[in-house]
Amino acid sequence: MSSRRNGARNIRGPQSALTDFLAANNISAAQIRTDYDRRRQQTAQDATNAGEGPSNATPEQDDDEALAAAAQAEEDEKKTKKRKRTEEDAIDKIKKAKSSKGGSKAKGKKGKKGDPDDDDDDDADFDGDDLGMYKKSRPAPGQFEHCDICNKRFTVTPYSKEGPDGGLLCTPCGKELKKDLKKEQRATTKAVGTGRKRRKVESEKLDGIAVGGAKSLSQLCIQKVAQHHDDIEELGDLPQSVLERLSEIFSKKRVMKSKTLPLFLRPDLDSVIVHDAAYLEEEDYRQMFAVVPNLRKLVLSNACQLKDGAIDYMLERCHNVRHIQLYAANLINEGMWHRLFREAGARLEVLKLTWLDAAFEDLVVRDLVQYCPNLERLKLKLCRRLGQDAVVTISDLPALKHLSLQISQDVSTETLVNLVQKRGSGLQTLSLEKFLDADDSLLEAIHDNCTQLSKLRLCENDTYTDAGFTSLFTEWNNTPLSFVDFNSTRDVDNNNPTGPEDAIGLASSGFRALMAHSGETLRHLDISSCRHIELPAFMDVFNGAENYPALEYINISFCNRADTSVVAGIFKSCPALKQLVAFGCFDVQDVVVPRNVALIGVPRAQDAIEQFGVGIGVEEAISRMVEMAA
Amino acid sequence: MASETDYVTLISKDGFSYVVQRSSARISPVLKRMLDPTGAFLEAKDNTCILQDMPGIVLEKVCEYFYYNEKNKDARDVPEMDIPTELCLELLMASDYLDI
Repeated sequence: MSSRRNGARNIRGPQSALTDFLAANNISAAQIRTDYDRRRQQTAQDATNAGEGPSNATPEQDDDEALAAAAQAEEDEKKTKKRKRTEEDAIDKIKKAKSSKGGSKAKGKKGKKGDPDDDDDDDADFDGDDLGMYKKSRPAPGQFEHCDICNKRFTVTPYSKEGPDGGLLCTPCGKELKKDLKKEQRATTKAVGTGRKRRKVESEKLDGIAVGGAKSLSQLCIQKVAQHHDDIEELGDLPQSVLERLSEIFSKKRVMKSKTLPLFLRPDLDSVIVHDAAYLEEEDYRQMFAVVPNLRKLVLSNACQLKDGAIDYMLERCHNVRHIQLYAANLINEGMWHRLFREAGARLEVLKLTWLDAAFEDLVVRDLVQYCPNLERLKLKLCRRLGQDAVVTISDLPALKHLSLQISQDVSTETLVNLVQKRGSGLQTLSLEKFLDADDSLLEAIHDNCTQLSKLRLCENDTYTDAGFTSLFTEWNNTPLSFVDFNSTRDVDNNNPTGPEDAIGLASSGFRALMAHSGETLRHLDISSCRHIELPAFMDVFNGAENYPALEYINISFCNRADTSVVAGIFKSCPALKQLVAFGCFDVQDVVVPRNVALIGVPRAQDAIEQFGVGIGVEEAISRMVEMAA
Repeated sequence: MASETDYVTLISKDGFSYVVQRSSARISPVLKRMLDPTGAFLEAKDNTCILQDMPGIVLEKVCEYFYYNEKNKDARDVPEMDIPTELCLELLMASDYLDI
């Protein structure tokens, strides 16, 4: 005990630090002194009744004796006033006794810390709450201290860690604490997402999943479900829209296999949508049609193992199929295609077939037209063996409303004109991709025959002229369009890089006419690579005064005349804008993107390829751009 | 008509009630319409929505999401909220219902 005491005596914070601390806490020495004097007088008065006795308290005394000794010491003090040291010792004694009785570590430490030294002024003051304010004064390196956690004695170093209660820790405890801290930090940084692959984040932004702000809760949940696809036994009765979304994600992650497919098959549903069926085999297709006999909508992409047998089974089981969408279903033979249309054609309303190779040819299309009188929506893209005859036959589909064609073989303009003349009046969607030979006579036919179009795509062509587009949109009897895609209608000739004198493809006047006709309802505008649209045309169309209330998506990639002011004008003219794609517009620089808009493809060297607005409105963004330009 | 308070109460099917900021709850178009003071719904009068299909544990997470969304409204590269695996299907149903 005495050795501990001696040890404690050695501990003494540097005077300057103490003074600093006191000053910082607005404690004046004078005040302490007066307090002390007052308190000492009071104790003296209180102790008047106590009897006299030996004033020397020896370390061997037990607790009771210590208490008595203290009382006597105080009495002594009152009487003689010069036996200060004795009193001091006695109080020490009491404190020690108390602390050892209680066994409390904190108290022991406090007592030790607060131990009065031979400092005359403020020794007796250190009791009770006053000790608290010295807790944080850190002992100098080289001194001994008791660990705040394990209470072991150790030598203080400059690297000693501070414990949770403010005391110092010994080396092992410090290490523990550091480890815990690191773990915590790692957890938080993980949540912040630095560990996530940057590529994935960017891809989500380009996909429009993350357009600033937080993701939607359902998006978060769907991600989580997809992450645990192996452990799910049943999805319960999720609504169909959510189920379809999940199916998309499963396909994207390539986990749509025999094991997971049953999650999406429910007898009460009327659709099977699998966007990546590459892993599914004959048995899975059979199961599909067995579980969902009320099938109305069938979507199978990458259906590379879909064979005649499965289609046969479908024709047998499912008598209500209205919607068939297949991608790369190349193991279905010609005979089965014929049978499919003959047996199920009468009810078919939607048919979308892409990337069919050997078996699907013009004769099959003839059957398709003959046996599917109710077909409203037809999409045939990249079917290798289809040619002009197929287009001729399609023009006899009576109920057609939505038509998308991309045919690899040459199709003459007359055939297309004939198609538009026959079906144009009923069409709401017309998408003709990559018909290289189609010329202004087609545009004229559209102008003359179509009155209900809302979606028009004419892309990858170098024959339409600007004049043709202008006259299409001038005094056109059609309701304003909501979806327009004229990408890559331009002349490409290395010998004449600036293009012909009379512009080929959508150019200035055609663009002005388009926006004048459809601006008020236009939602989606793709004019990428329409390289002859001049700056004044952009300026006139997006002048900030004109308003395009529905426009959400604009692609002006490789319209190399567009500059920063055009982009600013777009921000101002399109209040609903979500995405602006501008790859290859080299005059667009230093754009400040307003809130809720994603600008894609305008990078400065170090920048992300996509930028979106954070918390600034259109006005502020534009004024900042002006400042930057100045 | 009751005045528009800053906070609204959401009550789960097992009787837990959560008091959340109106601005946060309005993230859900469904709740927004329910609580629209110009509408005639009872919910708007009491500033209280009883969500019959949601257990308290799901609703708690939904409320957490409301605040998470509000907090990250203008941020980019938002850290993803942690969703307990066992809850995610129920939560998915709830999010679909609330359209969030």
